[in-house]
This record gives sequence, C-alpha cells and structure tokens, in this order.
Amino acid sequence: MTTPTIESLLLAMADDELVLGHRNAEWTGHSPILEEDIAFSNIAQDEIGHALIWYTAYEKLAGRSPDQMAFERPWNEFTCARFVTYPKGDFAYTVVRQFFFDVAEEVRLRSFLASSSEVLRSSAAKILKEEAYHRLHTQGLVERLGDATEESRRRMQAGVTAAYAQALGLFEALPDEAVLVAGGVMTPNIELARSWIEAVAPVLRSVSLTPPVALTADAGGRRKKHLPDLEQLVTDLQSVYRLVPGGAW
Amino acid sequence: MSEQDEKEHLAEFEARIARGEKVEPGDWMPEEYRHNLIRMIGQHAHSEIVGQLPEGKWIPFAPGFRRKLTLIAKVQDEAGHGQLLYRAAETLGATRQEMIEELLAGKAKYSNVFNYPTPTWADVGVIGWLVDTAAVVNQSMLAQGSYGPYARAMRRICYEEAFHIKQGYDAVVALAKGTPEQRAMAQDAVNRWWYPTLMMSGPPDKISEHTERAMRWRIKTKTNDQVRQEFVDLIVPQIRALGLDVPDAECAPDKATGHYQFTRPDWNELKRVVNGDGPCNAERIAARRKAHDDGRWVREALAAKSGQSTKTAPLLA
Amino acid sequence: MTDTQWETYEVFHQSKRGEAHEHVGSVHAPDAQVALQYARDQFARRLKCVSIWVVRTSDITATDYQDESFFSQSTDKSYRDPKTFGAPDHL
Repeated sequence: MTTPTIESLLLAMADDELVLGHRNAEWTGHSPILEEDIAFSNIAQDEIGHALIWYTAYEKLAGRSPDQMAFERPWNEFTCARFVTYPKGDFAYTVVRQFFFDVAEEVRLRSFLASSSEVLRSSAAKILKEEAYHRLHTQGLVERLGDATEESRRRMQAGVTAAYAQALGLFEALPDEAVLVAGGVMTPNIELARSWIEAVAPVLRSVSLTPPVALTADAGGRRKKHLPDLEQLVTDLQSVYRLVPGGAW
Repeated sequence: MSEQDEKEHLAEFEARIARGEKVEPGDWMPEEYRHNLIRMIGQHAHSEIVGQLPEGKWIPFAPGFRRKLTLIAKVQDEAGHGQLLYRAAETLGATRQEMIEELLAGKAKYSNVFNYPTPTWADVGVIGWLVDTAAVVNQSMLAQGSYGPYARAMRRICYEEAFHIKQGYDAVVALAKGTPEQRAMAQDAVNRWWYPTLMMSGPPDKISEHTERAMRWRIKTKTNDQVRQEFVDLIVPQIRALGLDVPDAECAPDKATGHYQFTRPDWNELKRVVNGDGPCNAERIAARRKAHDDGRWVREALAAKSGQSTKTAPLLA
Repeated sequence: MTDTQWETYEVFHQSKRGEAHEHVGSVHAPDAQVALQYARDQFARRLKCVSIWVVRTSDITATDYQDESFFSQSTDKSYRDPKTFGAPDHL
C-alpha cells in the first residue's frame, strides 16, 4: 500500500508551531523577570525551529520552501488551530496555553513514532527531545502558579477556562484524515484528544484548577475558518518580506 | 576604621591593581570604587534590557525564518547580558531589584543609543553592526578592568556580541546587495545611527567627569576618546566596503596619525538624551515599567510557593 | 512598594563527561528545580553541556580574601614539587 499524501498534516503542524512561536516571542523583552524572558525566548525559537522541520518536510513533497509557505502564503490559507492565533494575553494565559500545547505535541508526536510515514517518525523523535524540556518548564509553572497566591490562582484559572476549549481545537479532524488514518500515517485526532484530556487532568487537579464543564472545541482552523487575530498576525509576519517578494533579506 | 588603616588599605588596593591583579567581592575597596562600579555596571545592565526594545520591536516583522530566529536569539542574549551584569553589580552590595527600580523611576542612566527610534527593518541590521561593534570595542576594554566579576561577565558577553555583529552585518549586506529600495533603507539607517553610535563612548575626555580616576583604578583601561577613535578606525572601511557612505564629509584617513578624522557629535544632544530627554526615553521606560508591573504577581507567586522571603543577595560571585 | 527578590543560585557547568564542573555564573530563582531550568537557558544555550549543578548562594561557605594567612606557607615546602627532585623525568 502506498503512503497517502501527508502535505495537509505537515502544514497544519507547521502552521501551529510557527504561529505559537510568533506569539511566544512577543514576550521577548517584556517578561515578568529576566530569567523567564530568556526561557520563553528559547521556547519561541524551539517552536519556530519545529515549524521549519515540518515546512522542510513539506517542501520535499510539494516543492515550496519554508519561507514561501510562511511569508508568501495568504493568511486565509493557513491551517493552524485557532488556539495558537489568540493574542498572548497575560502571563498566566501564555503559560497555560504553552503547557496545553506541549502536552498536545507530546501526545501527537508519540503517536507518530509508530506511523507508516518515515518522515513523521524521524521528525517526531527529533522534536520530542526539545518538547520534553518545554513541558518540564511549563508544567512546573502551572504547578507553582496554580495555587500559590490568590491572584495567581485567579489568573491561572482564568487561563485554563479560556484556553481549554481552544486547545481541543488542536484536535479538529483534518479534511483528509480518514485516508491518513487508514494508511497508518496517524492516529485519529479524536483519540489524541482523549489522551490529551487524560494527560492534563492530573496536573490541573494537583493545584485545584478546573477545566470548564460544558464546552465545545474551538474548531475551524483546520478548515481555514480563522479569526481576525490570525489575519493581523500574518500581516505583521509578512510585512517586511513582502516589500520585496522573493527578494533576499 | 582609622585614617591610618584606611591609608594602608588604599595603598594595598592600588598596589594590587598596579600589579594587574583583579579585585574580588569581599575585598577592601574604596567606597568611591564600589560606587563607581555599581553605577557603571548598573548603567550597562540597564542598557542591555532597555536595548532589547528597539530591536525587539522588529521580531514580529523579521523577513524570513533565519532572520526571525536570529533576531529572537539576539534580543534574548540582551536579556542574558542584563542578567549577568546585574549579578556582577550585586556582588558589590546592590540588589537587582533596587537597580531596576531606580531605572523605572527614571533615576538611572543607560546608553544614549537606545533612546532613538527604529522605524525600518534596516535599523536591526545597523544596530547589530554599528552599535554592537562600538559596544564590543568598549567591552573588550572593560574585560581588562580590575573588578573580577565585571571582567568575567564581559568576557562571556563579548563572545556573544561577536554573533550580534555578524548577524547585523549579514542583514546589512543583504540590503546593500538588494534592490535600490533596500539599499536606500540601509543608507538611511547608517545616516541616522552614525552620530548616536559615536556618542556611545561617552563625552570627550576633556569634559568627562569620571575618566581620570576610572583609569587609575582600572575601572576603564582606555579613555572615551580612545575608544571612539578605535571604533571609527574599525567601522569606516567596513561601511565603505559595502558601497555605503559615512554621513560625514570630513571623515578621511589622516596620514600623520594613521587614524580617521571625523566630525564630533553634538555633545549637548548626548547630554539631553542621557538625562532623559531623547526621542524615545519615555516610551522605553514605560515599556519596561509595564513588563515589571504586569509581571509582579508572577514573581510574588513563585516566591510565595517556595516559601522564600525577600532576601538580599550575598556577595559571592 | 518593595518587590520580590528571588534568592540566587550559583551555577556550575560540566562541558563533557570527565571534565570538572566549572562555575559559570548565577541565576535568581524561586527554588532549586527552577534554578536548574533557568541555568540551562542562560548558561547552556550555546555552550556544550552534559550536567549542571546549582547551589543556593547562601549555602556556600567561602574563605575571606582578607585572610591571606589561610593560604600562606612560610616554611619551605618545595619537597612537594616533583620538579625539585633530580630523578629523571621518564619515571
């Protein structure tokens, strides 16, 4: 059996990583303390580096370079989840979002270790190494800030309440998911979502943070149904590059 | 301490410096030396964290993966340098918290150069190339200074600054080789940064308050004018090699001295900008204050969680 | 309003197995685990590194630079130096 085409999957992951990395880098120079400024700048570089891995894999299949995909593609062609497109919010929201993303990455990448696609297997192994550290850091922050002071508790709970349904949007089914699943490329997103819920629950519970009760996943991104936040972000991202399209910068 | 003891200590201290030995935290040192160093290292640290802002502004807009990643790493390094420098100053008995609060209250000075706007992408390249070259000329000198923790921090910082200069130069080369618009953007940035960069080395020796003592105690090992000349001699051929102009008609090699002649910047402007009245001083301090105020709950919560009380850092380095 | 000043931790960094840990700087951190993470990001983001130690600065006991007699050896101890013996170098 031939491996089904994985372009859409690669782009969805690449877009997630790029956009979240872009958001995290908004903390560079503006973090609560110098040490955390350095830490979040590292995480931003890692995420953008992961985007580069997925865009490069895409280039090998589709022929368009990472710079072309990130800096020339119209914003409404991106297929990132809405989750990564929201403004950075306060530090609590950023920490919760990054923690949720780190767990989602871990769940997804682990599932790739058994994929029929070689590029998914090898890239996942590479990215997992860095993701482990992100999770150590962001989970550590959730566990410390979750119940430290009245203010930190209130902010972290607000972060969880806002980000939880958004995070579930990371597991929105891809348009061609059935083919990918049948070909052994990936685990269905609905299963990954279940693993994610199970993985974040004990961490939240340990500091008495509670996910919202009634919720629907904040989906749409994989079908290019985006909010104005992404339009603004991509406009910024591409603004200099587009002054001389295809030019050397 | 009796006057006699004080004299003996001072003689010993100056002899140590004359022998080329480093002064370490906990050593006896004249109060003036301690104060000068705290002031100078503090200003240097402030310059790093304020210096994150003019370039950091361009992180969302950086064209292409390589530039974007590089710029985040560069601005991250500046936070890292600030961290190292505040720590070096802490070994003299100041605390980072006090120093930052002084900065936010508008009571502390920092490098003039970060109070100018960065209206175009070319500013990122030109800051890395021009401003950081000037910084490295100064910092290589400071790495030879007498205070151990500061000299150690400088050595590490100079190593990372080499990356800053190269990435800046590389970005400017891309512009210089690019379209006429890109080239014009680079020239415009060189024009705007030229004089502010010349001012970075400080007021001329004849009006500098701090130079003479700073030299004797090897807080500095070169004068402001020497550092400035060294920078000009280094950078002018680089600018011209890229086909860009130095915005100074007087700038030419002087055969007699072997140095470049150049027009002195407006020292009144330097004074104004350093004293808080530059084009972006208010904006820079406001941005730092916002980060500091918005982040207070994080610092408090993490301290509360671990049961730490407010502490003054001890003197080890 | 006074702000929170986290404690400092001294950072020791080992570049490869077999080498000694070297002091490379310090970080402000709320606890030792976070100090390790901050030390990684601040001191191992470029340098090669296989191990980091962090030690609370206030837990270090140090000699006093003033107290030079602590290290003074006024009697001749040259007999401890291999170079002061006439024995051949290939031994």
